[in-house]
Amino acid sequence: MIRLEGVTKRYPSMERPAVDDVTFEVPAGEITALIGPSGSGKSTTLRMVNRLIEPDEGSIYVGVDEIHDIKAEDLRRRIGYAIQGVGLFPHWTVFQNIGCVPWLLHWDKPRIAARVRELLDLVGLDAAEYSAKYPSQLSGGEAQRVGVARALAADPPVLLMDEPFGAVDPLTRERLQSEFLAIQHKLRKTVLFVTHDLDEAIRVADRIALMRDGALMQHDCVERVIAYPANEFVREFVGTERALKRLSLAHVAEEMGPPGRAAATEGRVPDGATLRTALAVMLEHGERAASVIAEDGSVVGSVTIDDILAHFERPLS
Amino acid sequence: MKRLTLIDFTGPIIALVVYVGLTMADRPWVALATRIFPNEGRYIYQNASTTTLVWQQFAMVALSSSMAVLIGVSLGLFVTHRAGADFYDVVSSLSNLSQTFPPIAVFTLTVPILGFGFEPTVLALTLYGILPVLRNTIAGIESVSPTQIESARGMGMRPYQVLLRVELPLAASVILAGVRISVVVGVATATIGAVAGAGGLGAPIISGLINDDPPVTLHGAILATYMALLFDAFIGRFEKAFAFSSPGARA
Repeated sequence: MIRLEGVTKRYPSMERPAVDDVTFEVPAGEITALIGPSGSGKSTTLRMVNRLIEPDEGSIYVGVDEIHDIKAEDLRRRIGYAIQGVGLFPHWTVFQNIGCVPWLLHWDKPRIAARVRELLDLVGLDAAEYSAKYPSQLSGGEAQRVGVARALAADPPVLLMDEPFGAVDPLTRERLQSEFLAIQHKLRKTVLFVTHDLDEAIRVADRIALMRDGALMQHDCVERVIAYPANEFVREFVGTERALKRLSLAHVAEEMGPPGRAAATEGRVPDGATLRTALAVMLEHGERAASVIAEDGSVVGSVTIDDILAHFERPLS
Repeated sequence: MKRLTLIDFTGPIIALVVYVGLTMADRPWVALATRIFPNEGRYIYQNASTTTLVWQQFAMVALSSSMAVLIGVSLGLFVTHRAGADFYDVVSSLSNLSQTFPPIAVFTLTVPILGFGFEPTVLALTLYGILPVLRNTIAGIESVSPTQIESARGMGMRPYQVLLRVELPLAASVILAGVRISVVVGVATATIGAVAGAGGLGAPIISGLINDDPPVTLHGAILATYMALLFDAFIGRFEKAFAFSSPGARA
């Protein structure tokens, strides 16, 4: 769990506070995306959690401890930290980079070696092939996988990530995001990550904390931020495709009805797809319904345009 | 970091062996010089043996350079970190003086103050040798990407660990380049130390010039140049071991 209470940071050179009285909580085992335009204070907020920047006012709790009760370096060793791939040390091998925090924690050598192998496995890199490589020998995607592995090295309950999937091409980014979600599904870390990309936040996060000019605009689960923007700024930030973004958060399996309703139609959607995909299939075939199929190809249900409209009308809990 | 092995030093070590051979080959030198310059009075410096001159030269450079490196690197690290940030401007502009200050001027300035002899010469060489080391230490530390420092701190390295494990290794090739320049210039400048009565390979060079004995000057000059090249080769090997390209270079 990470909790910020009335956190404020001022810089002498700036008129308004860089971070202004921000309060929110990242519940244990969940991912919160800290999002906002550049200069909104999101990175500053993130860096205050591991004391790379000291807040002027307010308290921050990681687990049960107020972060200022712990020596800064000891605090940081308990928090995984991932930044864009360039944060890897170019003079250290992949093995040394990943083993950094365990080494700082004085783990013995066999334990570090076993842990590095385990982590390379987890992020989908072959340990034998990659351990001895230097960062300059990695592609952007590989470097970021190593960055994530390094952040997870000492098995910290809390992860801070600053644009961890930035600086790679969109295809690689999407793959890294889903790999990270699969890892998170297994490990259930408490994650606070900074991004400027709303689609990334929607895809990866459970909750969104939206910032502007140092102030927290809205903090809520992803669906609610999109469905009920707290103010005009949030509405604008979410953008004109708000409705489609909402559809991309709902799954066909949750809304589908019995198979009969789509008997006469050609459109097919997998049961794991989102309502957005279902709508696209209907539009493509010029139909008002589509059949939902399971992985083996059998028809398990149907989804109609009315189901989609009903999804919008139903208030979110 | 690439591990250096003895094999990396094969070339410089062979060159060193040849050099040691040369310092003990006074007679072949005289024979050779007699052929090239048939009608000279002297072919080799008379007042001290070649090995003594080489040893004096080496001692001057080794002493002054180790002190210069120690002082230059410490001062450079001091001003590039929080504790010494206030002195950055002064020290940094002082270090840039080295580019404009000719070696020959070193002794014209220091002899009146420090006097003649071995120790004053070593002291003068030290002061002069600090400057390139200092300049490159500042440049090297400043070349380390802030992202890497932040990531080191973010993982929980203590300040001394960030310095020793991240900043110094990443700045090492630039710092060592400064050391190399300082030492090579030091070997050359030390020959002028003979004017201040410090001995070394400057003694035959200057004696040959004064007495119009080109072979004597040549002998000293060859041995001094060779020594500079040896230092250059050895330090250069270390420099290469610290050359890293940035991560994601292929990205």
